[in-house]
Amino acid sequence: MIDMARERRLAEIFVEVADSLVDDFDVIDLLQRLSTRCVELLDVSAAGILLADAYGELQIIAASDEHTRLLELFALQQDQGPCVECYRTGNVRTNIDLTRPETTVAWPRFAARARETGYVATHAIPLRLRNRVVGALNLFQTTPQRLGDDDIALARALADVATIAILQQRTLEQSHVENSQLETALSSRILIEQVKGVLAERWNTSVDDAFAAFRSYARARHLRLSEFAKQIVSGGFDTADIPPPARDRTGDHHG
Amino acid sequence: MADSGTVISDGMAEVLRRLHLDAPGDPASAWARVLGAEGVALTLLVGAERTPEPMWCHPELSARFEELQFTLGEGPAPDAIRTGSPVLEPDLDRVRPERWPALLSAAAKLGVHGVCCFPLGIGAIRVGVLTVLCDGKRGMGAQQCADAGALAAALTSAFLGGDARRDGDGSALGVPEPASGLHRPAVHQATGMISVQLGVSMQEALLRLRAHAYGSERPLGEVAQDVVARRLRFHDDLTDDFDDDFDDDGSGPHSPDGGKG
Repeated sequence: MIDMARERRLAEIFVEVADSLVDDFDVIDLLQRLSTRCVELLDVSAAGILLADAYGELQIIAASDEHTRLLELFALQQDQGPCVECYRTGNVRTNIDLTRPETTVAWPRFAARARETGYVATHAIPLRLRNRVVGALNLFQTTPQRLGDDDIALARALADVATIAILQQRTLEQSHVENSQLETALSSRILIEQVKGVLAERWNTSVDDAFAAFRSYARARHLRLSEFAKQIVSGGFDTADIPPPARDRTGDHHG
Repeated sequence: MADSGTVISDGMAEVLRRLHLDAPGDPASAWARVLGAEGVALTLLVGAERTPEPMWCHPELSARFEELQFTLGEGPAPDAIRTGSPVLEPDLDRVRPERWPALLSAAAKLGVHGVCCFPLGIGAIRVGVLTVLCDGKRGMGAQQCADAGALAAALTSAFLGGDARRDGDGSALGVPEPASGLHRPAVHQATGMISVQLGVSMQEALLRLRAHAYGSERPLGEVAQDVVARRLRFHDDLTDDFDDDFDDDGSGPHSPDGGKG
């Protein structure tokens, strides 16, 4: 029964993604939704999608939740962590026990930080583009149950969907365009971080709350996150129009 | 091709190691050689008006093409600056004429057959653009693209405050390399916050953040986290940036009303 439900859910996700790909879609928003779906379907606690930049260093592009603590954990994986290894070798790394001493020896900063954040296991699945690896899907669990073969196959399918989404931003004619798609996605990601800061400061809230308000406003109006962010930064949009995050005390002094 | 994504060539790695913005001479010829390109130009956006200024061009053809693009106001470089995305057209014959109506025929007259442009910038920040001219027939391979992208990233890093490389591994000053804390979400979040605190552009906000990190000899990412956690504010004083000592529990938002003192 559970598997049936899951298969149906998976089919729905593929339809959702296919629907999103027809138009000029928002890659960051789609990848965020996809990360959330990974959490649901695989029964993990957090998921993130990392892409390699021009230097071959992994950068976080989307995550199942935008809490800065989680984002920083992904950001740590510049030179160590399961994603770095997965990216370099192209191999899936699953069921890595973060509490084992070997893990700490292999990736001291990453393992310590992940445990501090409450995670006990992690998995990394490569994002593949033909014979290249362009990034990784990273999963975290707060409970020690293992991912089985079916789960891993599912995770691979979701990683493939993410790769397709990234590369579908515009029509592809030549292979070098793929590199520029990756760069563009990363650049949009940074723009969104900058906007989180702008809004958090204007509203006197945390960056996490500021982002939640920003995203729900954008989604309700079908605005692309990166376009909307661009407008806000350039002053082309009055942010007083966005309902600021509800807080237990009013701290907003915009407008 | 290498199995894992984009790997910089040895030649480009050497170029990046030697990259010094105030070194004498025109580095563009070395870049063109390593990239195997017909020409390379670096244009920076200067002043409040963000006027494009060609900084280094090699050979003369590159300088002329750069002038052409910015005089006409159309072409891959203006597009790359506007969108923040690389614009890769290694064969201009295949470009729809209406995309750059004035530029295409002028480029053909100059003898420019293919162009790839890589913007210099981070998020909303635009620093300039790297224009690589290529032979229309050979196009631009994955290796060249990876190299040019890495060069653009290194130059971005260099122009946005250069020596911030200190934070991580303490390597020599003036050597722009990847990372330097710029992969940390907190750095970009803090940049956005500081831009509001000071009422300045994103670019200036990042420079102020880096200057503070440099001045206080702390890693950029750590200073950025203080800004995000509201342990550190930037004030628009003539004096240096000013630390607000809020109660340092680091949790939850503080709502001091004295933001705009």
